[in-house]
Amino acid sequence: MTAGDMLFTIVTFAVLMVLVAIFAWGPVTKIMAQRQEKIEGDLDYADNARQEAKELAEKRQAELKNSKADAVKIVTTAKENGEKQRQELVSAAKSEAETLKANAAKDIAQERQDALNDAKNDVADLSLAIAKKIIGKELDADTQKELIDSYIKDLGDANGSH
Amino acid sequence: MNESYPDFELFGLHFNPANDLAILVSAVLVFLFVFWLSRKPSIRPNGKQNVLEYLIDFINGIVKQSMPGAEGSRFGLFAFTLFLFIFVNNQIGLIFQVDVGGKTWFRSATADPIITMSLGMMVMVLSHFFGVVFNGMKGYLKGYVSPVPILLPINILENFTNFVTLSMRLYGNIFAGEVLLLLIKQLAFSGHGAVGAVSFVGAFLVEMIWQGFSVFIGTIQAYIFVTLATVYTSEKVVSE
Repeated sequence: MTAGDMLFTIVTFAVLMVLVAIFAWGPVTKIMAQRQEKIEGDLDYADNARQEAKELAEKRQAELKNSKADAVKIVTTAKENGEKQRQELVSAAKSEAETLKANAAKDIAQERQDALNDAKNDVADLSLAIAKKIIGKELDADTQKELIDSYIKDLGDANGSH
Repeated sequence: MNESYPDFELFGLHFNPANDLAILVSAVLVFLFVFWLSRKPSIRPNGKQNVLEYLIDFINGIVKQSMPGAEGSRFGLFAFTLFLFIFVNNQIGLIFQVDVGGKTWFRSATADPIITMSLGMMVMVLSHFFGVVFNGMKGYLKGYVSPVPILLPINILENFTNFVTLSMRLYGNIFAGEVLLLLIKQLAFSGHGAVGAVSFVGAFLVEMIWQGFSVFIGTIQAYIFVTLATVYTSEKVVSE
């Protein structure tokens, strides 16, 4: 019997196992565990990212809907405001035009009145001057009377019916 | 290999250098192999690391078959080292056999029953030890009277038969393989002249075929040894 071989086998095997554990088994199984962890982490991360993306998409959809409604509201309000402003402008223009027209009519009437008054005065002056001239000449009573009558008649025509 | 070995005596213990050299060389080879494979491990494995990881997964698969729970992870390293050690020991005698002065100095260590029994004993001692560690002394002893107390003698006997069959199966396979290698070698040099040439060429071919087959046997035996070792351990460790 070679009992020493038994001892030698067991000791060699034990030393080999320790060395394998330190130099190969340990590091490599650690790396394998790390890889498994990393893969699990990556899968979790991917799940989260997908969930987040879904939520964002839903949020965006909802916001899009809201903004459409907002846009419609804004356009409606703008239309209403425009209509209102237009009405105001038109009515303001109308009233101003009427005011202008009224003023103009008043002015015209005034001018006419003034012109008429001037003409009256002129006629009076003219008749006076004519009278003086005729009077300066020799006048008999008949001629004078005829003359004055025709004058007054003309004046009455001119003054009374125009 | 001729069953005549040199003998050393040290501290009252006898050593057979044929066994010790083979064990030492195979241990060094196993270590260099895994050391070379495990340089610079990274999360993204390169070629060498893939080989080692494949081996580790292979052994973990064997262990998990019989110990699927948390206990299994405790035996991965042991089974891994055991597998590579027995595998290299089985093959090394197919490549190198050294006879000097009528004495064998180098052949497969697993072709000696002492060595296989040492390995078998190691497995059995560890299985009993971890049986106590995992199930407590009470649970361990309960294993001998389950499922019914009348099976106690058979349960005790089973521990011995397990040990003997585990060791002897490996020894028988490797020993027979190496004996046949030697016989074929003797056949190759048995004839003279034209007969000698024919027998040499014929035996050369047969030797090659047998070596190839022995590689297969050595691999299968290493696998079987590790599988049975984990099965026997699981019987003690895993509580029903």
